[in-house]
Amino acid sequence: MAKKIAGYIKLQIPAGQANPSPPVGPALGQRGVNIMEFCKQFNAKTADKGGLIIPVVITVYADKSFTFITKTPPAAVLLRKAVNIEKGSAEPNKTKVAEVTQAQLQEIAELKMPDLNANDIEHAKNMIAGTARSMGITVVN
Amino acid sequence: MKEYKKFEITAIPFNIDLISGILWELDITGINEDYNKLLVFADSNSRVNANSINAQLESLVKNNLLESFSVKENTLTDKNWNEEWEKTINVIPISERIVIKPSFRRYTPKNNEIVLEIDPKMSFGTGEHQTTKLVIKMLEKFVQAEQKILDVGSGTGVLAIAAVKLGGGKAIAIDNDEWCFENGIENVNANNCSDKIEIKHAEIADITEDNFDLITANINKNILLNIADDLISKLADNGILILSGILAQDEQDILKCYESSGVKLIGKEKMDEWISLALKHSK
Repeated sequence: MAKKIAGYIKLQIPAGQANPSPPVGPALGQRGVNIMEFCKQFNAKTADKGGLIIPVVITVYADKSFTFITKTPPAAVLLRKAVNIEKGSAEPNKTKVAEVTQAQLQEIAELKMPDLNANDIEHAKNMIAGTARSMGITVVN
Repeated sequence: MKEYKKFEITAIPFNIDLISGILWELDITGINEDYNKLLVFADSNSRVNANSINAQLESLVKNNLLESFSVKENTLTDKNWNEEWEKTINVIPISERIVIKPSFRRYTPKNNEIVLEIDPKMSFGTGEHQTTKLVIKMLEKFVQAEQKILDVGSGTGVLAIAAVKLGGGKAIAIDNDEWCFENGIENVNANNCSDKIEIKHAEIADITEDNFDLITANINKNILLNIADDLISKLADNGILILSGILAQDEQDILKCYESSGVKLIGKEKMDEWISLALKHSK
């Protein structure tokens, strides 16, 4: 018989760097989940993701056990990594800080597709392009 | 007690990917997606504040990506977040010889059983996790009388305590986390090992002692790869290094790194998806 689910916890933490300080400690602690066991498993499973920001959905069961799945990083995080900038533009309409190619958009859209509310890959690319423009990143061919 | 900055953010529309994506430009440590709001955390010495978050979100409003938002700033004081879970810990049999129990559970040892008393608070190493069990099984094979022992990333101190109770000599146990340092001392005292185990709040690079007969490190792949040379340099001739916290899929990466630095695989234990490796130094 399937275990009874007590709830879900959704966090965003850097890959390989989970530790018991907030948000992990308070979020898991109040549901009686073993914080350090989660950290050990999360860090092992995301060790190869080079510190990228990883959204994680933790399913907590009635017996306090847990499982988790990781999602794709936020689009802005992937864009910053793709064009190698630390921050977007404070005035994206006036000041452009980088350029992203269609090929890079395609790659990010394909990666994000499972987590986006997009009908197809072109729709997903448009969504990522919108995020890019809001950061002062110009989309080029 | 350590404090953290906590920001409670609501927004319309509540587009988590968009909002969190721009907030990660700031010096924050993590985000909790809590129903209709985001809880954003930062260290107390971080430069992030309500103004810097407002400025980030305001840029989304200017670009018509957000209609409105609110930001509330609070302070969160550190505590033992594991308290609720700790109440559920039971007696954990590790092997025929070793049992781990929290202080509030009663247990009568059978025959020559060794009982380790561990109250973990927020440290790793209760004996529940496969990686701890694997190292203790390795210790049962490799601990010899009067060995000089080093445990790196000691957490609760359980591995150093087990090694000493199995007959090892003096041990140094180090952890760079303050909770673990304090918790390690408590557990060493609870097990009457304070004459044999020294707990240090330190990194491996801070340790001046060397020539350890046995070193344990139950951490994770990336840290084990980063500190490989440090660990090996602390080993005595014919000393044994026990590594854990490794997923089976990462075995070859670890072995490639360590064997190229002069240690040879002499033992391996596996439990579920986790492995522990024993390596021997021969100068």
